[in-house]
Amino acid sequence: MYRTAQRRIVIPFLLPALALLGVFFLYPLVRVAVISTNEFSRTGKSTFAGLDQYQRLLEDPSYGDALVNTFMMTFVGGCMLFPPAVAMAWALSQRIHGERFFRFVVFAPVVLSAAVVSLMWKFLLHPTLGLINPALESMNLGFLAKTWLGDPALALPAVAFVLVWQGIGIWVVLLSAGFERLPKEVLEAGRIDGAGEWRLFRSVMLPMMNDVFRVLIVLWVVQSMQSFAFVWIMTRGGPFGSTEQVVTLSYRTAFEFGDLGYAAAMGIALVAIMLAVALLLNRLLKRDALEY
Amino acid sequence: MRSMRLLAGVALLSLVVTACGDSGNPDENAPDPKSWRDDIKGSALEVGVLSAEGTPGLELLRGLADGLAKDYQGTDVTLTFANTEARPAIEQRWRAGKPLDVDYGMFDGTDPELHVWADDGALLNLKPYLEQNDPDTGKPWLDSFSPTIRKFMENPGDGGIYGVPSELSLHVLFYNAKIFTDLGIAPPATWDDLTSAVDELKAGGVDPIAITGLIEPYMGMWSDHLWLRTVGYDKARQVLSEGKGHITDDPGFLDGLEKLQYLRDQGAFMKGFEGTDFTAAQAQFFQGKAGMILMGSWLVSEMASVIPKDFELGVVAFPTVPGGKGDQGAVMAALQQVSIAAESQNIPLSLEWARRLTGVDFQTKRANEIGEVSAVAGVPSPPGIPGIDKVISGAESLNPRDFGLTVSPAKDVVYPEIAKLLFGKQDAKATLDALDAGLRRVHGN
Repeated sequence: MYRTAQRRIVIPFLLPALALLGVFFLYPLVRVAVISTNEFSRTGKSTFAGLDQYQRLLEDPSYGDALVNTFMMTFVGGCMLFPPAVAMAWALSQRIHGERFFRFVVFAPVVLSAAVVSLMWKFLLHPTLGLINPALESMNLGFLAKTWLGDPALALPAVAFVLVWQGIGIWVVLLSAGFERLPKEVLEAGRIDGAGEWRLFRSVMLPMMNDVFRVLIVLWVVQSMQSFAFVWIMTRGGPFGSTEQVVTLSYRTAFEFGDLGYAAAMGIALVAIMLAVALLLNRLLKRDALEY
Repeated sequence: MRSMRLLAGVALLSLVVTACGDSGNPDENAPDPKSWRDDIKGSALEVGVLSAEGTPGLELLRGLADGLAKDYQGTDVTLTFANTEARPAIEQRWRAGKPLDVDYGMFDGTDPELHVWADDGALLNLKPYLEQNDPDTGKPWLDSFSPTIRKFMENPGDGGIYGVPSELSLHVLFYNAKIFTDLGIAPPATWDDLTSAVDELKAGGVDPIAITGLIEPYMGMWSDHLWLRTVGYDKARQVLSEGKGHITDDPGFLDGLEKLQYLRDQGAFMKGFEGTDFTAAQAQFFQGKAGMILMGSWLVSEMASVIPKDFELGVVAFPTVPGGKGDQGAVMAALQQVSIAAESQNIPLSLEWARRLTGVDFQTKRANEIGEVSAVAGVPSPPGIPGIDKVISGAESLNPRDFGLTVSPAKDVVYPEIAKLLFGKQDAKATLDALDAGLRRVHGN
């Protein structure tokens, strides 16, 4: 009786969200899946092709390379993101002078558009006209000056860095919230037992933040796999495909060559891979709930 | 029985009427070619343009739009940016059945990949209209265009004409004439001249060649031109874009790549080109930091706002390769053509826009004021590009740029490998092997 009444109340609250999800996620997803079973001419005429486009994917080395690059972007960016984000979030959770100012500085790039950030860093990283290399040279660190976006070994980390630079504020805020909700009594008990701040951070705070990390890592994987704007504006997938992501390859396939069916298959495969990775990470990172 | 006869009669009449219809003008929406000017009425008109906001080229087009609005009451012309960056979105509009009335890049008779819009009936066949006498000249509108460029305008499939050229972009080697004069270097006419010029520019402390390393097709312009000289247009196109034969069959391909490797090893390309965008590369040329740049003749109008007043520009055709088995007198070109949507709501007004755009008066104004090279007969060479007239008169043939690679999946095979060669990641032979493997894969041959 109680449950039935509860359901009656819940459903109207869920409906708007379900409607939005249906219109902006489920319908496009189904539509793209349908498109992926067709072959399109440049003018948009289509013929049914069944699973041929998926067969093409399996035989296409450029898709495999783009997939590897996509995972590399996630991994390299993740390595650049989480250690400093955790450090900053921890620092901001302490009572430090000028905390608001630091929060503003860390968060400010988040409000800039991806296009603005990408163009700005593209200029900063320019090998001769930019600011990074001259700055390194002026500090007698000229040996570190590189053709950042033009070097296939450095271009992907460079783009990943920009992606992280722009978004780190959000992660710091989320991690700060995680640090804030840690029970003060537990931390205090640790201090009374003689644990130093580093020991407290490593052995008490981080384990207690496990559920937060799990969610944030999955979110990062999903977000970084869709870093279209940064890659497109900064490198267009170059040099020679070293930064090509599945999303940029899919875009070029659809809109430069008009091969909409194949591009849709690329997208559907990416969705499936992202879901699988998210589920796997969720399972791997799952720990027993801490009771305190 | 009687009704059967009646039905047969109607069917026969329908067949006769259909057969007697104007086969050159199949578009139901299209006006009569002989009297289309009488049907021009003012309305909204959306026109694709290649000039970006804030450029003098766009101002000229705005003037053309104002003239049309003045002559035909109710005309409201919207100029929509339709250059490379905007093409994906604009092509989506065509696919969705909401095309621009007049647009660029929809047809190129020399590129089978770009026949498809005409073949599918999306474009108006302009031939019946071009064959009518133009009231301004008293001659057919078609006569305004040089016969050498008709192959770009005509669809080999049905003989129709689906584009009229508004700009002719020639791929040429620009050089800084002041630097060349100061250092006593002659503009390069042959491959040996070019390599000598590179040495002399380096000795003079100038980076020899400006190039972008961030956009692969711009690096590919060098291999395209070398193959034009060492292989020839037809053969290179067959192998690269059409999958006919293999790149290892003709030694000219390796010869071209070895020449490119030679330039690389010579240090011909400007410092830091690997991380330099194309606009920055062009700007560095005009700032005198590099001696040469291989680019389309659009360079001058595109960069008009940053070219120093005292900059002395020179232009030559891509150097010949003595002993090369390809086309030594050919020039690569991109003909920027406007096409009219078969579904345009105002085809007469669209035709009038195209006619005015390709008229001698407007084309002359563009040549003089913004340095655009025209494909229209009787229009002078732009004074802002000294030497372009010699390139045009000396061209034995105009061949479409890039062998059609940019609209072929082979683009993703060819240009990345050329970039690797220029970046020093592989030598000419390794590049050839990688190209061979990639082309066999995409063409399945």
